[in-house]
Amino acid sequence: MSKRLRLMWLFVLLLPAARGDDPQQATPDQTGPAALKNLSLEELSQIEVTSPSKEPTPAFRSPVAIYVITGDDIRRSGVTTIPDALRLAPGVEVAQIDGSKWAIGIRGFGTRLSRSVLVLIDGRTVYTPLFAGTYWEVQDTLLEDIDRIEVIRGPGGTIWGPNAVDGVINIITKSTQDTKGVFASTGGGNVKQGFFNFRYGGGGDGGDGPTYRVYAKGFTRGPEDHPDGNNFDDWRGIQSGFRIDWPGGSRDAFTLQGDAYQQEDGEQVTATTYTPPATQNVVGNEELSGANLLFKWKRTLSEGNDFQLQTYYDRTNRLEPNLGEDRDTGDIDVLARTKWGTRQELLYGAGARVSNGRFDEVVSGLVFSPLHRTDYLISGFLEDDINLVTGKLMLTLGSKLLRTNYTGVNFEPSARLMWTPNDKQTFWASFTHALRTPSDGEDDFYLSSFIGDAPNGTPTFARFNANPNFAPEQLNAYEVGYRQLIGKNLYLDVAGFFNHYHDLFSEDITGGFSIQSTLPYPAPAPPPTYLLLPAQFQNDLYGATYGGEIAPEWRPTKFWRLRGSYSFLRISLKQAPTTEIAIGPASDNGSSPQHQASFDSSFDIAKKLQLDLIYRYVSALPAQGVRAYSTGDARIGYQFSKYVGFSLVGQNLFQPDHVEYIGDPGGPVFIQRSVYASLYLVKK
Amino acid sequence: MLPSRTVAQTDLEYQVKAAFLLNFAKFVEWPSNAFADSDSPVAICILGKDPFGRAIDDLVQGEQANGRKLIVRRMNELPTPRACQVVFAEGSTKDVAKTLNGLGRSVLTVGEGGSFLRDGGIIAFVIENRRVRFDINQTAAETAALKLSSKLLSVARSIEK
Repeated sequence: MSKRLRLMWLFVLLLPAARGDDPQQATPDQTGPAALKNLSLEELSQIEVTSPSKEPTPAFRSPVAIYVITGDDIRRSGVTTIPDALRLAPGVEVAQIDGSKWAIGIRGFGTRLSRSVLVLIDGRTVYTPLFAGTYWEVQDTLLEDIDRIEVIRGPGGTIWGPNAVDGVINIITKSTQDTKGVFASTGGGNVKQGFFNFRYGGGGDGGDGPTYRVYAKGFTRGPEDHPDGNNFDDWRGIQSGFRIDWPGGSRDAFTLQGDAYQQEDGEQVTATTYTPPATQNVVGNEELSGANLLFKWKRTLSEGNDFQLQTYYDRTNRLEPNLGEDRDTGDIDVLARTKWGTRQELLYGAGARVSNGRFDEVVSGLVFSPLHRTDYLISGFLEDDINLVTGKLMLTLGSKLLRTNYTGVNFEPSARLMWTPNDKQTFWASFTHALRTPSDGEDDFYLSSFIGDAPNGTPTFARFNANPNFAPEQLNAYEVGYRQLIGKNLYLDVAGFFNHYHDLFSEDITGGFSIQSTLPYPAPAPPPTYLLLPAQFQNDLYGATYGGEIAPEWRPTKFWRLRGSYSFLRISLKQAPTTEIAIGPASDNGSSPQHQASFDSSFDIAKKLQLDLIYRYVSALPAQGVRAYSTGDARIGYQFSKYVGFSLVGQNLFQPDHVEYIGDPGGPVFIQRSVYASLYLVKK
Repeated sequence: MLPSRTVAQTDLEYQVKAAFLLNFAKFVEWPSNAFADSDSPVAICILGKDPFGRAIDDLVQGEQANGRKLIVRRMNELPTPRACQVVFAEGSTKDVAKTLNGLGRSVLTVGEGGSFLRDGGIIAFVIENRRVRFDINQTAAETAALKLSSKLLSVARSIEK
């Protein structure tokens, strides 16, 4: 798109307001005595003042770099998937790889599996121990019923579960008390070819009764752009779920929820085998399905003292063209909060998780040995929040402890200091030690790649051998932050970090070429003779990342909100001396954008008409040859009757297509300009 | 998975409760004998522990209710008769019933938690679904000769008669 068109887009975002007359609903950002004074009784009754004790208070004062993407932000941006919604937060790299895959990272290390980010949905960890990461394509729920997504940059401190190294993403759905009635939507477009969403919620008659909801959704999407015409990445799925919340008297609250899904998406993978042909790019469908069930019980013992128990079961099935895995996971956690003296509050808890994976070998070049493995993880934490000066200076000291079947007992201590000189400013600083535990993918995994045929015709492979001594990756994170409310309508959030890493994942060459005629794991028949270059996943990278994020927000009028964000990141990794590394630090250094910026305008043109415009810029990924790009999305929403509305959404509008990340073996996939329209019904 | 208690969590809750107290003063009518004279202000008295800090003073500054100026007072013992029109007792106050008995007749008593109305209070704040709501004991209000606006009654979470 021409430079001029891009500039015009920015100009449109800054246009002075047209007439509009519907006041925005009061949000916690608008607090402060002056703003509250003008609210009606009903509006005051709508302000959320606490969080369930599961999550950090997403407000102005929190000694972590947290950004809350509200359900309203998600709806107004027109995104249809959780990865796309994550672009709304600063410091998060979201690069779409192809029609159903994204590379996501926080403060660097964005990869398809996001190995150093802890991701949870309603408290259930969706991180897979198989490869240490999250399969984003199967993390979905009814977007309309998402209350908020809390994105924490950095290790987030003591209270989060294992593998919260570079960030935590916590997707929280609404209580069933807030989702009564019918919601239905349907629509389609050129890439998002068709979708439907439906939810019915009810209950709660007579004040104390249970409230519930059930939902179902389905979608089908076409492929993105492939210069070679190999349009493999279509994607379709259905998902359904329910939730029931019971207040059990004034002290107890119970929740039971569950989801089930089934998907098929196309992918292209490299299948390597020791029998000819040694390597092929195979196009096929991944068959993905899964289900989960979650139960929570919270008891309030007295003001400031409560206790919570959570347990869940999660099942995932994956059958890909080059690997298959079925996994069952069970987890139980308890958490308690008690006041201690007049100045302190203690939080403590423990949890245990068991995950049992059964691996199917589909091609001989990608094998887990043993094929059947049970991983366990035991964690505990203790945190003390100390009001050094009540209302102004708070010190938080805590530690997680962690034990898995791959590691002994590890401690992850954290210290945070927060100073709030007045109700308009917050300063905070923190130190955290965090680690990422090894996964099956490092300890049990054999991955072969075909290098070529030697001059005499012998096939030559490099093979990454399992490393049962793979150690946890370690991080020492030093962070600072500052937040300021300027006047009544302008808010500024700034954070900076210096992350010092050691024992980072590296792919080392461990020897010279040799002639082989066996495999190190059970195989149906011995392979033909081959040349082998041995390699192994080890912990030979170290170094630092540093950077910062700044995110201003401005509400010039009640019906217009402007937000911006800029993130800066420098990665400087090195390899330990006397090691030979196949894929070195340059790859990590050059696979994350150094600069990201976004700007959005959320405008209520009239009581029934909304316009949202989003601009984003991502700088280049030199290690992949991906160029910097900027693009924009737009959404128009129109409510044409009491219950029915319509929206038109355009995405990636600046260019016919562009590349964000090269993650598929066949070469870059171009993400297209797309449009979709949706009709929705909301009847409470 | 688990929470972090922060300094300001209490702040926002009490900022909203302070705003409610301002509204209560505006939506309740006192009999004229509740005041010392025609120039007396409507006094919101915080009895015992003060969880509001400056928030309530900033909010009440320059406001009027019932045609009278609105002020905030803080005290640790029971007020003299007619010194307070609204008395707020924070949730951890002990011997609530005894305290409420010792107040004058036409005082709008506001407290926190489930047992406040049973102890004789008129309006009790509760936190429900993360929001500040309130329950009203209408009988106690009538006994106190206070007229509650229908606006107030309609927004209340529950009304006990």
